[in-house]
Amino acid sequence: MSDRDAPGGPTASGYAVELRDVVKRYPGGGDEPVVALDRVDFAVRPGEFVAVVGPSGSGKSTLLNVLGLLDDPTSGQRLLDGTDVTNLSVAERTRARKESIGFVFQDFHLLPTLTAVENVAMPTAFDPGDAGDRAADLLARFGLGDRLDHEPTELSGGQKQRVAIARALINEPAVLLADEPTGNLDTETGESILGEFERVKSEGVAVIAVTHDPLVEEYADRVVDLTDGVLTGGIPADDADDRSGPNSDAGDDARRGGRIRRGGRPTAATDAGGER
Amino acid sequence: MASRNLRRNRVRTVLAVLGVCIGVLAVAALGIFGNVLALGADDAIGDIGTQVVVSPNNDAGVESLSDADIASIRRAVDGPAVVPLYSDSATVARQGDQTFATVYGVEEPALAYDAAEGRLPERHRQGAILGAGIAEDLSAGAGDTVEIAGSQVRVIAVLVESQTFSPVAPDDAVFLPESAFSADGYAQALVVSDSGAEARAAADAIREAVNARQDRVELFELAALVDEINEFFDLLSTFLLGLGAISLVVAGVSILNVMLMSTVERRQEIGVMRAVGVARRDVLRVLLAEAGLIGAAGAAAGTLLTVMLVAGLVVATPAVDAALVLDRTNAYYLLLALVFGVGVGIVSGAYPAWKAANERPVEALRS
Repeated sequence: MSDRDAPGGPTASGYAVELRDVVKRYPGGGDEPVVALDRVDFAVRPGEFVAVVGPSGSGKSTLLNVLGLLDDPTSGQRLLDGTDVTNLSVAERTRARKESIGFVFQDFHLLPTLTAVENVAMPTAFDPGDAGDRAADLLARFGLGDRLDHEPTELSGGQKQRVAIARALINEPAVLLADEPTGNLDTETGESILGEFERVKSEGVAVIAVTHDPLVEEYADRVVDLTDGVLTGGIPADDADDRSGPNSDAGDDARRGGRIRRGGRPTAATDAGGER
Repeated sequence: MASRNLRRNRVRTVLAVLGVCIGVLAVAALGIFGNVLALGADDAIGDIGTQVVVSPNNDAGVESLSDADIASIRRAVDGPAVVPLYSDSATVARQGDQTFATVYGVEEPALAYDAAEGRLPERHRQGAILGAGIAEDLSAGAGDTVEIAGSQVRVIAVLVESQTFSPVAPDDAVFLPESAFSADGYAQALVVSDSGAEARAAADAIREAVNARQDRVELFELAALVDEINEFFDLLSTFLLGLGAISLVVAGVSILNVMLMSTVERRQEIGVMRAVGVARRDVLRVLLAEAGLIGAAGAAAGTLLTVMLVAGLVVATPAVDAALVLDRTNAYYLLLALVFGVGVGIVSGAYPAWKAANERPVEALRS
């Protein structure tokens, strides 16, 4: 585990977060389990902004959950800052989440009873010491210095998302995971949020956003496509050379993705129609 | 944090607090009522429970208790004081009021009675001791002079009102020194014990020793009856407490409901807390604190209400003696109800809290 810490090593080194050959299966309705992630290789460097795109139900949320230590892979390896975190106990996972991972959700998920500054400090609320000052500093950085004691209902969508980002950064994580960070925001606010992401990544945080929004793709350093559980372009291009044919993989995936895009949704619609 | 979550849904919280409050009120009030009832009964029958009255058995031709009888009674009981009494009746008068009273001759009144006014002498040599009832009838107090069977006697003490229904009823009696009597035998003897059990043992011993060859004496003792009565009141207390406990259980179910609904409602929030790294233990703590707060608030309010209710009862009902209500055992019921209220809150909060804390954040966030 610790030998992976060495920077500049041939494969794993230097990545903030990495998945190796990760498979995630869920018990499905029928005999066949649903394969949400199919042998996914994925790595993000510190200070890199990666957008994960793909159709609904392609496993994007699962990818984010596995990356964020909310869910364990069925097989494969998961590394955080070069440390193997594939199999951790619940308590260890919780601690690792707190120390190394920040979450930004589509619908912000702020606690309605807490003020902005308390929401930001919430991950550390049960630790000794008061993180209130740090939280206030973070909010000030995001231009919310005058909104510290406002409750979430008194904030606009963009402000709420800024509070959520500040909350994600309170423990100075290595990785920031965002699930549709602009999904509930208008274009202008979305752009300013993405601007915040750029600032976050410039501080050396790996930012991974799952999105449908083309705007996010514009801001991203790298866009990876997840279709039907298969990830394309998961490894940064200059590191991927020694891996087996990324181009042929991409073509394969594109075909599969196309099948889903064209076939999957009409099927679902037909089903829904049939029920009525 | 816990209190703020509770404030979010005030109505529901208030209802749950009310539930606990009523439960605690029921437990504490019923417990105290039962206790006051038992204490009051104890107070009223306590004296006869510890007194054995020994009388000569007229059927066997024994008309009075001789010094020898008293001596053998003393030998037999070993411990409890034996107070032999002469008995007669006479008219007692003072300033125009007059009444007919039993007059007892007693040498050591202090062994059997307490004075409300004046002082009971170790050896009763002179003067009269009035029962509370007589003293009131004649409006006489210590230091006054009353006329007993034609002769003027100074009152040296007035007895405490006794509230008993013993054959020797001191309330309507006058106690004179033995020297005032010329009878050659005692009419009765009181055996005064500290407890019902001692009284019963004394009665048995007297039966065995004095009535060995011939039934010379009759015994009047209520210790066994008192025990039965006490047992009944214990049962009554337990029964009342049980009734109260049922309402506390109902209160517990309402907390369970409130906490369960509140955790279902906040499923996502709890999921977020878990996702951003709040440990299960801490989620559990917040939720338990909420349930504990409901329990504590309800219990405190219930205890306060009980105190007010009982105080109101004392004010409204003259028959209930304030001293009985202020008895220490009642505080025990209050404390019990308080602890129960908080306990019920935490216990019924435990399951929802445990459930919420252990849910996988992935599941909680998905909804």
